[in-house]
Amino acid sequence: MPQHAEKTAIVSIQKVVKEYHLDKVVVPALRGVSLTVRQGDFLSIVGPSGSGKTTLLNLIGCVDTATRGTVMVDGQDTKGLNDRQLTDLRLHTLGFIFQSFNLVPVLSVFQNVEFPLLLQRKFTAAERAQRVDELLKKVGLDKHTQHRPSELSGGQRQRVAIARALVTRPKIVLADEPTANLDSVTGENIIDLMKEMNEEEKTTFIFSTHDAKVMSHANSVIRLADGKIAAGKAAAGRH
Amino acid sequence: MGWALLLLRISLRNIFSSFLNVIVGLIILAATFFFVVGGSLVNSMDKTMSKSIIDSVAGHAQVYESSSKDKPALFDSWQIPDLDPIPDFSKIKGPLLSDPNVSAVVPEGVNTAIVVYGNTIDQILEKLRKAESPGAGSIMEPAQSNPGPPHEASGQMTRQQRKEMIDSLKAHVRQMIFVIQNDMEKHNKIGAAGSVDPQSIKDLQHAASPAFWAGFDADPLNHLEFLENKIAYLVPDSDQIFLSYVGTDLDAFAKSFDRLQIVDGGMVPPGHRGMLLSKYVYENMFKLKSAHRLDQIHEAITEKRQTIAKNPDLQDLVRQNREQTHEIVLQLDPLSSQKAVSILQGALHSKETDLPKLLSSFFDTNDSNFEARYKIFYDQLAPMLELYRLKPGDTLTIKTYTKSGYVEAVNVKIYGTFQFRGLEKSSMAGSLSLMDLMSFRDLYGYVTPEKIAETKSLEKAAGVKFVPRDQAEADLFGGSTKTDVVQSQPKAINDEAAMGGAKVKRVDLTRQAYTQDEIDKGIVMGAAVILKDPSKLKQTMKNLQAISDKDNLGLKVIDWQQSTGFVGQFVNLTKLILFLASFIIFVVMLVIINNAVVMATLQRVREIGTMRAIGARRLFVLFMVVVETMALGLVFGTIGSALGSALVVLLEHVGMAAPNDWFYFFFSGPKFFPWLNAGSLIGAFIVVVIVTCISALYPAWMATRVSPIQAIAAED
Repeated sequence: MPQHAEKTAIVSIQKVVKEYHLDKVVVPALRGVSLTVRQGDFLSIVGPSGSGKTTLLNLIGCVDTATRGTVMVDGQDTKGLNDRQLTDLRLHTLGFIFQSFNLVPVLSVFQNVEFPLLLQRKFTAAERAQRVDELLKKVGLDKHTQHRPSELSGGQRQRVAIARALVTRPKIVLADEPTANLDSVTGENIIDLMKEMNEEEKTTFIFSTHDAKVMSHANSVIRLADGKIAAGKAAAGRH
Repeated sequence: MGWALLLLRISLRNIFSSFLNVIVGLIILAATFFFVVGGSLVNSMDKTMSKSIIDSVAGHAQVYESSSKDKPALFDSWQIPDLDPIPDFSKIKGPLLSDPNVSAVVPEGVNTAIVVYGNTIDQILEKLRKAESPGAGSIMEPAQSNPGPPHEASGQMTRQQRKEMIDSLKAHVRQMIFVIQNDMEKHNKIGAAGSVDPQSIKDLQHAASPAFWAGFDADPLNHLEFLENKIAYLVPDSDQIFLSYVGTDLDAFAKSFDRLQIVDGGMVPPGHRGMLLSKYVYENMFKLKSAHRLDQIHEAITEKRQTIAKNPDLQDLVRQNREQTHEIVLQLDPLSSQKAVSILQGALHSKETDLPKLLSSFFDTNDSNFEARYKIFYDQLAPMLELYRLKPGDTLTIKTYTKSGYVEAVNVKIYGTFQFRGLEKSSMAGSLSLMDLMSFRDLYGYVTPEKIAETKSLEKAAGVKFVPRDQAEADLFGGSTKTDVVQSQPKAINDEAAMGGAKVKRVDLTRQAYTQDEIDKGIVMGAAVILKDPSKLKQTMKNLQAISDKDNLGLKVIDWQQSTGFVGQFVNLTKLILFLASFIIFVVMLVIINNAVVMATLQRVREIGTMRAIGARRLFVLFMVVVETMALGLVFGTIGSALGSALVVLLEHVGMAAPNDWFYFFFSGPKFFPWLNAGSLIGAFIVVVIVTCISALYPAWMATRVSPIQAIAAED
């Protein structure tokens, strides 16, 4: 496969430092992290609580900006972008899967998945319906399109979230502890589903986890400790 | 637009998603309900009340002399406005009528008179005096249209009938003296010694003595004088009645204000002097007080469904009736007294023989026996009583203080009583009686050429001399002057020729008919203008003012609302209160909704953060909160408006009963039928949109500040 051979960098992080200010105390979350993620990667970020996993995901997800260093997402330096440009980058390039699913409770499964497409404002209703139905079939929820999130189980909800993250065909999907709120069997199913999507659509997946089983599915793992990269199982991910 | 639909979908679905939203919704519901109902009620009341005012006295507009200090205040009977008179009504009538929209111009002036009313014994003595000297004095002469009871038609009585009548009256007076004596004794027992003038006791004893009555027929006039001067004043039930009246061209008034209805008696014959008493005043001021109180209780029970047991006002009326039996006791002559005692004994199954005690227990009514006693009173007792102190056909002496401060008095014949249709129970519309313009002018102190001549002749006869102010001290107190103020007085009093002449003329006045020309030519205090098309009031007022300015009539034109003093302002007042209440509700709503939406927004931080993370722009989030709050407002506002409209429509069919007599005027009748006001409905919606919009702005702005990080970080 030619693209696979090229392995273009979709996310590139250089010497990133992130500090939070709590009153007058400066709390460092990341202390100089550098890494490159290539297109089609299925990358797992692991580490104990407070190691900076979520901060790193936030930076890649363009919901936060680095104190120092550069974060390049799909070739754009996020530091130079304003809120609207960051929002549009999230809308068109990124997909999010949250630990607690974060579906809009008053919308049906179908409408939740359709939501990002509506925000994109570039598809007709028929096009949207086709994409949503297709994805819901893939995640096995085509029987539940009219249900409300509250009527679904945790695993089903996370499937909806995956469908919502993928519906815009983003280049990168970020998942923060996607299995933390699920039992192990369901969690594994979810990871399998993500892996499947990764292989079919060549979508880059970056997810944080501290579940060893989940880690084992990743084709590269970044270990974080005290805001620094400790060691990598797949050193290929590092420069 | 897909996302606009999405916003709407989210907002509509969110309405019932949170407890806070329901609270906000209920506030909006209550507020719109209030706006629709309150607005409709005030608007309808405005219309009905202006109808009351316009139809009863004010007309659509009023004109008055522009140099006046005050404005006409037709219903402010407690304070007569200081108005300059319009010297000649005929000069303004034509020009005002020349406007094509004016249908009538009716002269009007309000004044308050004092009617001093003699007490019960005075009235009997007067009858006795008349019976003793038939033909003298025609004060109590019955009206042509209203022949009174036969015994009053003194002219056509046989000698025998007259003798019987005199005897009966004499017996009645003796009975009264007996009652007064009893009272005095009681008084003496209760009060400190000397609280009763010993001379009065002596006078009473004299009047009660058989010797006094034995000598009565020989010299009736002297005996009567003794009774009138020494005895009558001992009965303290004489009354001073303040009577507010409108002096007007009665024929023109009746034609223009077609709500006018004659209740008792008849209309004043065209061109004649005379008065029509307001039925309301007639009932309240001139009716036998016990009977009037019974009427009030009866009405409260039958029409307002109240009970004596529960209403302290009614209990008070019962108590007054129980305690104040004097008026009835004094009215009954010995024969009637006996009849009354037997009626009451029968009704009460009592063996009591004392009339006051019987009456007291008869009037001690409760809810179970009231209607029966009410019927006994009117069927059996009332025929023996004079229910009204004044009857159509009687003449009333009306006294007023003129502008310059001296007292004018005029005898005016009462032709009947009237009411305004639909306003029968209104104390406000019923506060004014009607008087002919000629009498009104006399009472105003209007100086006619004849009067000037009469005054001149009196002045000459009395030796009055004009004393300039700067010489007053020297002239009056200086030693050099020969004329003496004190000396000149007896001359005037003794001038019988002049006084007698005046008296004869006065009697004639009540019979004289005036032509329209005579009525119109003279002063008026103002005039009501009736329009053909009331909707053009503003324009017509401008035209009339222009006519006055052009012809130099010196008039000022004001609308009905300005001319009715406080009452006219009442609608404005209620509107102001409604406005203030609305404003307060507005502010309270803003604060509460704002807080509630802030709280709701805080509860949704994760949801909003998620949307932002997925790619929703700040503007989307802003719109979402605003649209949600507005949708909430519109949904609950519609429910509130619907409920309010339903209530108003229901009231329109069922009607609102006036809680008291005051409201009859505002309701233009005993029941008020409000109607739905489109303005209030639209207003309610505008208010809802504005309030929700404004109160959602801050939380919406807050929502835009929610960071997408919060979607990820939450729940740790």
